Amino acid sequence: MADLLAIEGLSAGYGRAVVLSDVSLRLAEGEALAVLGRNGVGKTTLIDSIVGVTRRISGSILLGGRDIAALPPEQRAALGVGWVPQERNIFRSLSVEENITAVARPGPWSLQRVFDFFPRLKERRHQAGSSLSGGEQQMLAIGRALATNPRLLLLDEPTEGLAPIIVEELLRVLTALFRDEGLTGIIVEQQARKILPITHRALILERGQVVHAGASGELLADAAMLERHLGVTAG
Amino acid sequence: MPSATLLGQALISGVLAGGMYGLLALGLSLSWGLLRLVNLSHFALAFLAAYLTYELGTNYHVAPWWSAMLIVPAMFAMGLAQHWIFDKFKVNELASLLITFSFAIILEVAIQLYWTADYRRYETHYSTMSFKVGPFYIPVLELILCLVAGVLAWGTWLWLRKTYVGKALRAAAEDADIAAAYGVDHKKLAYLLSGMGAAYAGIAGTFIALIATLAPAQIWTWLGVVFAVVIIGRLGNPLGALFAGMLIGASESIAMAVLSPAWAPVVSFSLLIVILLWDPEWL
Amino acid sequence: MTNRMGAWRRREILAGLAATAGMLAAPAIVRAAPSGKPVKIGGTLSLTGFLAQTAVIHKIASEIMVEEINVRNGFLGRPVEFVLLDDQSKPDVARSLYEKLITVDKVDLIQGPYATAPILAAMGVAQRYGKVIIQNSMGIPKMQTYERAFPATPFGSEPDKTYPNVILDAMASLPTPPKSMVVLTSKFPSAQFMALGMKEQAEKRGVKVLMYLEYESGNRDFGAIAARIKEANPDFLWVGSLGLESNQVLESLRKLDYAPKNHFHLYPAPGPLALSPDGNNALCSTFLEPAEPFMSRPGVARIAGEFKEKATKANLPYTTIDAQAAGMVSQWQMLEAAVNGSGSLDDEKIAAWLKKNRVTTIYGSLRFDGPFNHGDASQLIKQVQDKEWRVVWPKEFAAPGVALKGA
Repeated sequence: MADLLAIEGLSAGYGRAVVLSDVSLRLAEGEALAVLGRNGVGKTTLIDSIVGVTRRISGSILLGGRDIAALPPEQRAALGVGWVPQERNIFRSLSVEENITAVARPGPWSLQRVFDFFPRLKERRHQAGSSLSGGEQQMLAIGRALATNPRLLLLDEPTEGLAPIIVEELLRVLTALFRDEGLTGIIVEQQARKILPITHRALILERGQVVHAGASGELLADAAMLERHLGVTAG
Repeated sequence: MPSATLLGQALISGVLAGGMYGLLALGLSLSWGLLRLVNLSHFALAFLAAYLTYELGTNYHVAPWWSAMLIVPAMFAMGLAQHWIFDKFKVNELASLLITFSFAIILEVAIQLYWTADYRRYETHYSTMSFKVGPFYIPVLELILCLVAGVLAWGTWLWLRKTYVGKALRAAAEDADIAAAYGVDHKKLAYLLSGMGAAYAGIAGTFIALIATLAPAQIWTWLGVVFAVVIIGRLGNPLGALFAGMLIGASESIAMAVLSPAWAPVVSFSLLIVILLWDPEWL
Repeated sequence: MTNRMGAWRRREILAGLAATAGMLAAPAIVRAAPSGKPVKIGGTLSLTGFLAQTAVIHKIASEIMVEEINVRNGFLGRPVEFVLLDDQSKPDVARSLYEKLITVDKVDLIQGPYATAPILAAMGVAQRYGKVIIQNSMGIPKMQTYERAFPATPFGSEPDKTYPNVILDAMASLPTPPKSMVVLTSKFPSAQFMALGMKEQAEKRGVKVLMYLEYESGNRDFGAIAARIKEANPDFLWVGSLGLESNQVLESLRKLDYAPKNHFHLYPAPGPLALSPDGNNALCSTFLEPAEPFMSRPGVARIAGEFKEKATKANLPYTTIDAQAAGMVSQWQMLEAAVNGSGSLDDEKIAAWLKKNRVTTIYGSLRFDGPFNHGDASQLIKQVQDKEWRVVWPKEFAAPGVALKGA
């Protein structure tokens, strides 16, 4: 199957600081990729580069065979890049429903389907975005991204800052999206053990470079590798 | 103590005068609230439209409602042209004040060059017409103005809430970069909104031509009070702008009827300060 | 995420400044045919800003007078050149421009600007440099405390006492003299000054003042004020208005289906009030109108003709010479008489000559030896009849067949 996403030799950063250097990766249609690494290794920069909010320095980003690296964010979004930012960035002055419909594009993910998927959002559809709890905001951020009917869904540390019980709920949602619905996506995470069972493949970043790439199942079984690069102890 | 008739009449004329504040505030509130551009030239555009209405009406005998069909789209185009400059120079909120002030001055000078500084009055037989309800007189033109302002404010409010474009604009006003990452083409929408704001100035101008006697320096007459209206009505909220306009108009008028007329200008700004400090939920 | 805050970029400021530059009008120079070194006379008028509509009239009057003076002998045989700058209706701008005219442009003499505030600003500068300053529109004579400042308009030294009595005399001559009145005035200082005088004199003469109301200048809506006037229903409405305010008051009254019985207006824009559908029988003060007996005064008919021609060319909607334009004419007539009479361009000698001599101006023969350099008051009353201003009081100044009309 053809790769949906192909990144070649990507170096990127903010301002003068180069955060990512010479990163390459490929992602097939229907595949979910976990991007792991400690704080500050360039995980978010990788996501931001695909979305288009980072200053790109060099390299190419092909989405469905088309190089999107020079396009502004709104055009990338139109071509199918969906984003759940780390800060969630809910439009606080818009209602829950408006957050979704303001950016919705036609496709299988209608407002109704998003609400079916997240019943809690439906209950709060008329509340202001600012009134939601952290977990609800994360659900809304995902629902909003789904409503753009993306070909590629990018999630930046979705479990960060959430209570354990909410994390469990979120993981069920992600499992449903990537395992049952067959969405293509990249999930940046610190919690390797929680995210590896959901994804097909994984890569580990260190100081802006890819230091490991392989199947998620194999990495999950390789306690030494997890320990070495991520400081995750077996358990 | 003033009589009930006097109070009622003052309330009516105040609310109707407030309709003009609201109508002028509408476009200003939209561009300030949703584009972060403080457009001082809004008033000058309104007066340009008023002078054009006067010119077409006096010299070519075109009725104001027909000339509006010509002038309002022309103002829309001027709004687009103005936004092109904002866009090209990446103008921020503060710089927009300076630049649009300059636009306003240039328009004032241009108006004075063509129409001179002397007073221009578009006399119509209906400009001071009114009808009687009980003991009260209701001026027809101001009533129509308020209805038009009401329709515009209500329509714009619905548009911002119900349409994709409206919601996208509000999202972009809150966070343009995030909205862009979700596919909102903020630039295109900003052009649309700037055009709309200028078109609203055109509509206000038509009424100014009919209600007021024109002189170039009159451009600044409404500046202070309309700013207060925009802020009280909350930036980017068209219905708020209209209600705030009527609230200020009514308060000024009641102050003039009950206290000394000289208190009127104090009222709008006192109201502004009170509301800023109090910040009630319902406003 | 980021937004577009942060420092102003130079380019943005440049764009703003470049645009602002458009508002700075270049000085207009009314130049005479060259013959000998011209005598430079500097002055400002409010060519832009809220007083701009009056400045056009004064500018035209000045152009006419400079041309006339140059056709005659000029000043001491030298041509006259008027260096006119725009004070933008702002006293502080007037102050710095007069400073510039005297120190940088080194004008020989100056002419006063229009309206009390710019005049006071210019007078301060004139006093510092000992320049003679002649003005035609300072409504509060006692503020003219500088000994080389002279009025070109016969207000008299106490117009707040004399003026109301001329009006009350006129009212008293009506078949049914008003018994009650409402005084409505702008808080603009010169209007308020006259309004207080009007109230005092009316009460002294037994006319009941039902209401005394002040409004802020720049008042936008007169609806509530109109409702109060209608409710008071006075026999006589006195409005201390400036510019368009009278039109606004009358329009607001009409919207309440009310027309005032007798109504007087202090400083209205004369053209719009005369042409207004509500202007009929409106009263106002004047010193001159383009009718008999004034047109028979020497030179008046010629000046009125030139004024009409130039005003038409300048696209003004009201082209008839009136007391406004006459004030500026008088200003030039005084300066011409004083320079040629004293035989000097020296401000001290010119001032001394003016204090000792009468000058025949468009307003008639004026003297300047009274308090605050004022002479006799010679207010007249005019009235809108058939969309035109006609002098109606005192009776000897009324044209044949014209008489004061009461309610």
